[in-house]
Amino acid sequence: MVDNIGNSPDSESRNCIAPGATSSTAYGDGCTIKEQDRLLPIANVGRIMKQILPPNAKISKEAKETMQECVSEFISFVTGEASDKCHKEKRKTVNGDDICWALGTLGFDDYAEPLRRYLHKYREVEGEKANSSNKASDTNARDEPSIFRSDPQRNQPLGSTSLKFNAIDRNDGSISRPF
Amino acid sequence: MRQAGTYSGLLSGGISGRTGPHSLPLARIKKIMKKSGEDVKMISGEAPIVFSKACELFIEELTLRSWMVTLQSKRRTLHKDDITAAVIATDIFDFLVQMVSDSGSRGPAPAEMET
Repeated sequence: MVDNIGNSPDSESRNCIAPGATSSTAYGDGCTIKEQDRLLPIANVGRIMKQILPPNAKISKEAKETMQECVSEFISFVTGEASDKCHKEKRKTVNGDDICWALGTLGFDDYAEPLRRYLHKYREVEGEKANSSNKASDTNARDEPSIFRSDPQRNQPLGSTSLKFNAIDRNDGSISRPF
Repeated sequence: MRQAGTYSGLLSGGISGRTGPHSLPLARIKKIMKKSGEDVKMISGEAPIVFSKACELFIEELTLRSWMVTLQSKRRTLHKDDITAAVIATDIFDFLVQMVSDSGSRGPAPAEMET
Protein backbone atom coordinates (compact mmCIF):
# COMPACT_ATOMS: atom_id res chain seq x y z
CA MET A 1 0.00 0.00 0.00
CA VAL A 2 2.80 2.38 0.75
CA ASP A 3 4.57 3.27 -2.44
CA ASN A 4 8.04 2.61 -1.23
CA ILE A 5 10.14 3.68 -4.10
CA GLY A 6 13.44 3.52 -2.32
CA ASN A 7 15.49 5.69 -0.13
CA SER A 8 17.51 8.15 -2.07
CA PRO A 9 15.54 11.24 -1.27
CA ASP A 10 17.67 13.56 -3.35
CA SER A 11 16.95 11.82 -6.58
CA GLU A 12 14.18 13.83 -8.11
CA SER A 13 14.19 12.33 -11.56
CA ARG A 14 12.13 9.32 -10.52
CA ASN A 15 9.17 11.41 -9.55
CA CYS A 16 8.70 12.87 -12.98
CA ILE A 17 5.08 12.25 -13.70
CA ALA A 18 2.75 9.81 -12.00
CA PRO A 19 3.91 8.98 -8.50
CA GLY A 20 3.15 11.83 -6.19
CA ALA A 21 1.24 13.76 -8.80
CA THR A 22 -1.26 15.84 -6.99
CA SER A 23 -4.89 15.13 -7.68
CA SER A 24 -6.05 18.69 -7.28
CA THR A 25 -5.53 19.80 -10.85
CA ALA A 26 -5.56 17.86 -14.07
CA TYR A 27 -3.98 20.04 -16.67
CA GLY A 28 -1.50 18.89 -19.26
CA ASP A 29 1.87 17.41 -18.57
CA GLY A 30 3.56 20.79 -18.34
CA CYS A 31 1.55 21.71 -15.27
CA THR A 32 1.93 18.31 -13.69
CA ILE A 33 5.67 18.69 -13.77
CA LYS A 34 5.43 22.16 -12.39
CA GLU A 35 3.37 20.87 -9.48
CA GLN A 36 6.08 18.33 -8.78
CA ASP A 37 8.40 21.23 -8.17
CA ARG A 38 6.29 22.81 -5.51
CA LEU A 39 5.69 19.65 -3.50
CA LEU A 40 8.02 17.38 -1.61
CA PRO A 41 8.13 13.81 -2.95
CA ILE A 42 5.19 11.72 -1.84
CA ALA A 43 7.45 8.78 -1.03
CA ASN A 44 9.45 10.78 1.50
CA VAL A 45 6.38 12.38 3.02
CA GLY A 46 4.60 9.04 3.17
CA ARG A 47 7.57 7.41 4.83
CA ILE A 48 7.74 9.98 7.60
CA MET A 49 4.01 9.61 8.19
CA LYS A 50 4.23 5.85 8.25
CA GLN A 51 7.12 5.81 10.69
CA ILE A 52 5.36 7.91 13.30
CA LEU A 53 2.20 5.81 13.23
CA PRO A 54 1.61 2.40 14.76
CA PRO A 55 2.46 -0.57 12.52
CA ASN A 56 -1.17 -1.45 11.84
CA ALA A 57 -1.99 2.02 10.57
CA LYS A 58 -2.78 2.64 6.92
CA ILE A 59 -2.65 5.91 5.09
CA SER A 60 -4.79 6.75 2.11
CA LYS A 61 -3.07 8.13 -0.96
CA GLU A 62 -5.19 11.23 -0.77
CA ALA A 63 -4.06 11.82 2.78
CA LYS A 64 -0.43 11.68 1.69
CA GLU A 65 -1.16 14.13 -1.10
CA THR A 66 -2.87 16.45 1.31
CA MET A 67 0.11 16.21 3.60
CA GLN A 68 2.41 17.14 0.71
CA GLU A 69 0.39 20.27 0.16
CA CYS A 70 0.39 21.08 3.87
CA VAL A 71 4.16 20.78 4.09
CA SER A 72 4.71 23.07 1.14
CA GLU A 73 2.36 25.56 2.66
CA PHE A 74 4.27 25.28 5.93
CA ILE A 75 7.56 25.98 4.18
CA SER A 76 6.11 29.01 2.40
CA PHE A 77 4.51 30.33 5.54
CA VAL A 78 7.64 30.11 7.66
CA THR A 79 9.92 31.32 4.89
CA GLY A 80 7.69 34.34 4.34
CA GLU A 81 8.00 35.32 7.96
CA ALA A 82 11.76 34.75 8.02
CA SER A 83 12.18 36.68 4.83
CA ASP A 84 10.20 39.64 6.17
CA LYS A 85 12.51 39.78 9.13
CA CYS A 86 15.57 39.78 6.89
CA HIS A 87 14.05 42.48 4.78
CA LYS A 88 13.38 44.68 7.80
CA GLU A 89 16.90 44.15 9.00
CA LYS A 90 18.24 44.87 5.56
CA ARG A 91 19.83 41.48 5.18
CA LYS A 92 19.74 39.62 1.93
CA THR A 93 20.22 36.07 3.00
CA VAL A 94 17.74 33.98 4.93
CA ASN A 95 19.71 31.79 7.28
CA GLY A 96 19.00 28.99 9.73
CA ASP A 97 18.56 31.36 12.67
CA ASP A 98 15.88 33.24 10.80
CA ILE A 99 13.99 30.02 10.23
CA CYS A 100 14.23 29.14 13.92
CA TRP A 101 13.05 32.60 14.88
CA ALA A 102 10.13 32.42 12.46
CA LEU A 103 9.09 29.05 13.83
CA GLY A 104 9.01 30.47 17.34
CA THR A 105 7.05 33.52 16.25
CA LEU A 106 4.45 31.49 14.39
CA GLY A 107 3.66 29.24 17.32
CA PHE A 108 5.96 26.32 16.59
CA ASP A 109 7.97 26.84 19.76
CA ASP A 110 8.30 23.12 20.22
CA TYR A 111 10.33 22.98 17.07
CA ALA A 112 12.34 26.15 17.52
CA GLU A 113 14.48 25.12 20.47
CA PRO A 114 15.52 21.67 19.29
CA LEU A 115 16.14 23.03 15.83
CA ARG A 116 18.41 25.70 17.23
CA ARG A 117 20.42 23.00 18.94
CA TYR A 118 20.44 21.01 15.72
CA LEU A 119 21.62 24.03 13.79
CA HIS A 120 24.33 24.68 16.34
CA LYS A 121 25.59 21.13 16.02
CA TYR A 122 25.44 21.34 12.26
CA ARG A 123 27.52 24.48 12.29
CA GLU A 124 30.04 22.83 14.56
CA VAL A 125 30.34 19.89 12.24
CA GLU A 126 30.68 22.11 9.22
CA GLY A 127 33.31 24.13 11.02
CA GLU A 128 35.23 20.99 11.86
CA LYS A 129 35.00 19.76 8.33
CA ALA A 130 36.28 23.02 6.99
CA ASN A 131 39.18 22.94 9.40
CA SER A 132 40.06 19.34 8.82
CA SER A 133 39.99 19.69 5.08
CA ASN A 134 42.49 22.46 5.48
CA LYS A 135 44.70 20.45 7.75
CA ALA A 136 44.03 17.06 6.13
CA SER A 137 43.65 15.46 9.52
CA ASP A 138 42.42 11.95 10.17
CA THR A 139 39.14 13.00 11.77
CA ASN A 140 37.44 13.47 8.42
CA ALA A 141 35.52 10.24 8.47
CA ARG A 142 33.93 10.93 11.82
CA ASP A 143 32.72 14.43 11.28
CA GLU A 144 29.60 14.27 9.22
CA PRO A 145 28.09 11.08 10.51
CA SER A 146 28.21 12.06 14.14
CA ILE A 147 25.25 14.40 14.15
CA PHE A 148 23.24 12.49 11.64
CA ARG A 149 23.74 8.88 12.60
CA SER A 150 22.69 7.08 15.67
CA ASP A 151 25.36 7.56 18.24
CA PRO A 152 24.88 6.09 21.68
CA GLN A 153 27.06 8.67 23.35
CA ARG A 154 24.96 11.47 22.04
CA ASN A 155 21.77 9.87 23.17
CA GLN A 156 22.73 9.83 26.83
CA PRO A 157 22.34 13.45 27.85
CA LEU A 158 19.01 13.77 26.10
CA GLY A 159 17.22 10.85 27.64
CA SER A 160 15.50 8.00 25.93
CA THR A 161 13.87 8.36 22.62
CA SER A 162 10.16 8.37 23.02
CA LEU A 163 7.42 8.50 20.47
CA LYS A 164 5.18 10.53 22.72
CA PHE A 165 4.92 13.96 21.26
CA ASN A 166 4.73 16.61 23.96
CA ALA A 167 3.36 19.14 21.54
CA ILE A 168 0.07 17.34 21.25
CA ASP A 169 -0.88 18.03 24.83
CA ARG A 170 -0.15 21.69 24.77
CA ASN A 171 -3.15 22.87 22.87
CA ASP A 172 -6.87 23.09 23.39
CA GLY A 173 -8.43 20.06 24.91
CA SER A 174 -10.94 19.43 22.19
CA ILE A 175 -9.33 16.40 20.70
CA SER A 176 -6.98 15.37 23.44
CA ARG A 177 -7.48 11.87 24.64
CA PRO A 178 -5.18 9.70 26.63
CA PHE A 179 -3.43 7.36 24.30
CA MET B 1 10.92 23.43 30.37
CA ARG B 2 10.13 20.71 27.94
CA GLN B 3 12.07 17.49 27.94
CA ALA B 4 14.20 16.96 24.92
CA GLY B 5 13.54 13.24 24.91
CA THR B 6 11.25 13.39 21.93
CA TYR B 7 13.88 15.21 19.99
CA SER B 8 16.85 13.10 20.89
CA GLY B 9 16.19 11.54 17.54
CA LEU B 10 16.96 14.92 16.02
CA LEU B 11 20.53 14.97 17.08
CA SER B 12 21.21 11.31 16.70
CA GLY B 13 19.65 10.96 13.32
CA GLY B 14 16.19 9.57 14.03
CA ILE B 15 14.41 8.82 10.83
CA SER B 16 17.11 10.56 8.88
CA GLY B 17 19.71 8.29 10.38
CA ARG B 18 18.30 5.48 8.34
CA THR B 19 17.75 7.21 5.06
CA GLY B 20 20.90 9.29 4.91
CA PRO B 21 21.63 12.72 6.35
CA HIS B 22 18.28 14.24 5.43
CA SER B 23 14.98 12.58 4.74
CA LEU B 24 13.71 15.33 2.47
CA PRO B 25 15.38 16.65 -0.68
CA LEU B 26 17.16 19.90 0.06
CA ALA B 27 17.02 21.21 -3.50
CA ARG B 28 13.26 20.83 -3.59
CA ILE B 29 12.90 22.56 -0.21
CA LYS B 30 14.98 25.41 -1.53
CA LYS B 31 12.76 25.71 -4.60
CA ILE B 32 9.65 25.87 -2.48
CA MET B 33 11.26 28.51 -0.28
CA LYS B 34 12.09 30.63 -3.30
CA LYS B 35 8.55 30.46 -4.54
CA SER B 36 7.17 31.74 -1.27
CA GLY B 37 7.74 35.38 -2.10
CA GLU B 38 9.38 38.06 -4.17
CA ASP B 39 11.60 39.03 -1.29
CA VAL B 40 13.24 35.69 -0.97
CA LYS B 41 16.38 36.07 -2.94
CA MET B 42 19.22 34.42 -1.16
CA ILE B 43 19.03 31.41 1.04
CA SER B 44 21.91 30.16 3.12
CA GLY B 45 23.00 26.54 2.76
CA GLU B 46 21.87 25.69 6.24
CA ALA B 47 18.29 26.93 5.86
CA PRO B 48 17.00 23.96 3.82
CA ILE B 49 18.74 21.67 6.29
CA VAL B 50 16.91 23.25 9.20
CA PHE B 51 13.69 23.03 7.20
CA SER B 52 14.20 19.38 6.43
CA LYS B 53 14.07 18.69 10.16
CA ALA B 54 11.30 21.19 10.76
CA CYS B 55 9.18 19.58 8.05
CA GLU B 56 9.76 16.17 9.57
CA LEU B 57 8.49 17.47 12.90
CA PHE B 58 5.57 19.15 11.21
CA ILE B 59 4.58 16.02 9.31
CA GLU B 60 4.87 13.96 12.48
CA GLU B 61 2.73 16.34 14.49
CA LEU B 62 0.02 16.72 11.90
CA THR B 63 0.02 12.99 11.23
CA LEU B 64 -0.36 12.13 14.89
CA ARG B 65 -3.13 14.64 15.41
CA SER B 66 -4.92 13.33 12.35
CA TRP B 67 -4.48 9.80 13.59
CA MET B 68 -6.26 10.70 16.80
CA VAL B 69 -9.24 11.70 14.70
CA THR B 70 -8.99 8.43 12.79
CA LEU B 71 -9.03 6.51 16.05
CA GLN B 72 -12.07 8.38 17.30
CA SER B 73 -13.92 7.09 14.27
CA LYS B 74 -12.64 3.61 15.01
CA ARG B 75 -10.82 3.32 11.73
CA ARG B 76 -7.29 2.26 10.93
CA THR B 77 -6.84 4.14 7.70
CA LEU B 78 -5.89 7.77 7.92
CA HIS B 79 -7.96 9.77 5.46
CA LYS B 80 -7.75 13.27 4.15
CA ASP B 81 -10.75 14.32 6.24
CA ASP B 82 -8.87 13.35 9.36
CA ILE B 83 -6.13 15.76 8.39
CA THR B 84 -8.72 18.44 7.72
CA ALA B 85 -10.24 17.90 11.15
CA ALA B 86 -6.84 18.05 12.84
CA VAL B 87 -5.98 21.27 11.02
CA ILE B 88 -9.23 22.90 12.08
CA ALA B 89 -8.78 21.81 15.68
CA THR B 90 -5.24 23.12 16.05
CA ASP B 91 -4.53 26.82 16.41
CA ILE B 92 -1.07 26.81 14.93
CA PHE B 93 -2.38 25.14 11.81
CA ASP B 94 -4.73 28.00 11.06
CA PHE B 95 -2.65 28.89 8.03
CA LEU B 96 -3.76 25.59 6.49
CA VAL B 97 -7.48 25.96 7.05
CA GLN B 98 -8.11 27.70 3.77
CA MET B 99 -6.09 25.19 1.84
CA VAL B 100 -7.72 22.07 3.25
CA SER B 101 -11.17 23.54 2.75
CA ASP B 102 -10.47 24.71 -0.78
CA SER B 103 -9.28 21.39 -2.05
CA GLY B 104 -12.84 20.12 -1.76
CA SER B 105 -13.02 17.94 1.28
CA ARG B 106 -15.68 15.34 0.98
CA GLY B 107 -17.89 16.37 3.82
CA PRO B 108 -18.03 17.34 7.49
CA ALA B 109 -15.24 15.98 9.64
CA PRO B 110 -16.23 12.74 11.32
CA ALA B 111 -15.10 13.88 14.78
CA GLU B 112 -17.00 16.32 16.89
CA MET B 113 -15.26 19.67 17.15
CA GLU B 114 -15.81 22.43 19.64
CA THR B 115 -15.31 25.78 17.97
